Amino acid sequence: MLMVIVHTVCSLLSYAAFLVGFVSGVLFLIQERQLKRKHMGVLFRRLPALGTLDRWNLLAIGIGFALLTIGLVCGVWGSHRLLGVWWRWDPKELLAVALWGSYLVLWVVRARATLRGRKVALLSILGFTLVLFTFLGVSRWLPTWHAYL
Amino acid sequence: MHIVVVGANYRSCPIEVRERLAFQADQLAAAYAALREHVGLAESLILSTCNRVEIYANATSPDGAAARLASFLGAHSRLDPQVLRPQLYTHAEPSSIEHLFRVAGGLDSMVLGETEILHQVKRAYEQAQRHGATGKVLNVLFQKALNAGKAIRAQTGISRGCRSVGTVAIELAQKIFGDLRPYAVLLAGTGKIGELVLKRLSARGVSRVRVLNRSLDRAQALAAFYGGQAYGLEALEGQLLDADIAVMSTASPTALLSRAQVAAVMQARRQRPLCLIDLGVPRNIEPSVGELDNVYRFDIDDLQGLVDHNYERRRQALQASQAILERKVNGFLSWWQEETQGCAQRVSSGLVAAP
Repeated sequence: MLMVIVHTVCSLLSYAAFLVGFVSGVLFLIQERQLKRKHMGVLFRRLPALGTLDRWNLLAIGIGFALLTIGLVCGVWGSHRLLGVWWRWDPKELLAVALWGSYLVLWVVRARATLRGRKVALLSILGFTLVLFTFLGVSRWLPTWHAYL
Repeated sequence: MHIVVVGANYRSCPIEVRERLAFQADQLAAAYAALREHVGLAESLILSTCNRVEIYANATSPDGAAARLASFLGAHSRLDPQVLRPQLYTHAEPSSIEHLFRVAGGLDSMVLGETEILHQVKRAYEQAQRHGATGKVLNVLFQKALNAGKAIRAQTGISRGCRSVGTVAIELAQKIFGDLRPYAVLLAGTGKIGELVLKRLSARGVSRVRVLNRSLDRAQALAAFYGGQAYGLEALEGQLLDADIAVMSTASPTALLSRAQVAAVMQARRQRPLCLIDLGVPRNIEPSVGELDNVYRFDIDDLQGLVDHNYERRRQALQASQAILERKVNGFLSWWQEETQGCAQRVSSGLVAAP
């Protein structure tokens, strides 16, 4: 049962971290746009610097990815212990793995600095739509064992 | 009881006089002792900054106290009283209170709305407290003044404006990088505005400075002053790999940096953000460079546009500040009135002995 609790808590916390990544990505895009357009509005003064937003984004995605990894491992393991199967081809499982893969790619891309700034911000926003779909969408539109919402 | 202020600021007297009037931190203990014992003030507070020296006091009679404070400042500065007197100003309440609130709000500052003065007022207040020089009245007065200073800045945005091309450039760089300390700066050309921007960047503690110029002597002189290295202008592209902020102010008739060049540089520096400030006329950098990802390019017109925009906003902010100021001063005055009346009543009803 402990596995299931860790699985749930870590997964939810990882979503929260990805939410922080998403928000900092959106703020980054807004701030970047103001800088490129040479517009110093109220928003410009209130928002943090691009570098700061970028660091939040990196940190949030790193933490989120680590938590998601723990959540997934515990999920798979818990499933094996409780139900005797490692994997059920549940849509949520598939999506969660896809999510894990996407954030892995995003993390690697960001850490290796192949992409920076606006594009990373855009990707972290895109990643979060996948989070939303995995978290909320699945149980609405697809048959799943993880139907609790 | 009266709240008086006697002092001098950048408008009332030149720097030579302010230097003589200024109080160093190690003189404060003796100064506060003298104010208490020789000038006979129950409460006093010395505000000494590079732009002003003022003593606030809670005194029994305004005239006598003001005259004694002026003599005290004369003795402290060792200036001829005949010379010093006309350069001092004196306010009794309510104008002394309004004056302090204006000072705390940055409305009396050389650079309108600057924030440093609020810290200085706070520090002066803390020092006075530590020396046991303030009592109930000055405590409330300065807490309200600090509160008014904060409110003016928070509600009107008066401090957020910029005054010059240089400060706008710094603000933009800070909005890109945040804390500028870990970043490297490159200055191409040794023009006056370029140097001004470099000076401000260096005051923000940037970690590395490079100066590039056609003639190496000028570059070396400037680089030595700011603790950086000097190169010829031909090193520009190579040096850009390392710099985070590049200030261009050469008199070159053609652009020194093309879009293709900067694109190649960006690739080589792995897309680390680059802030380009082009002060040259004609421009030193092709304008389309600004369209590249992670490149932030500003030319002199962009900066000028932001200065003007701010000027208008600051004028509006000044009007808004005035309204807050009045409200805060009235707030204190009503407390003060209650306080003095309450005190008088207690005296008349025999609850406390008359002072």
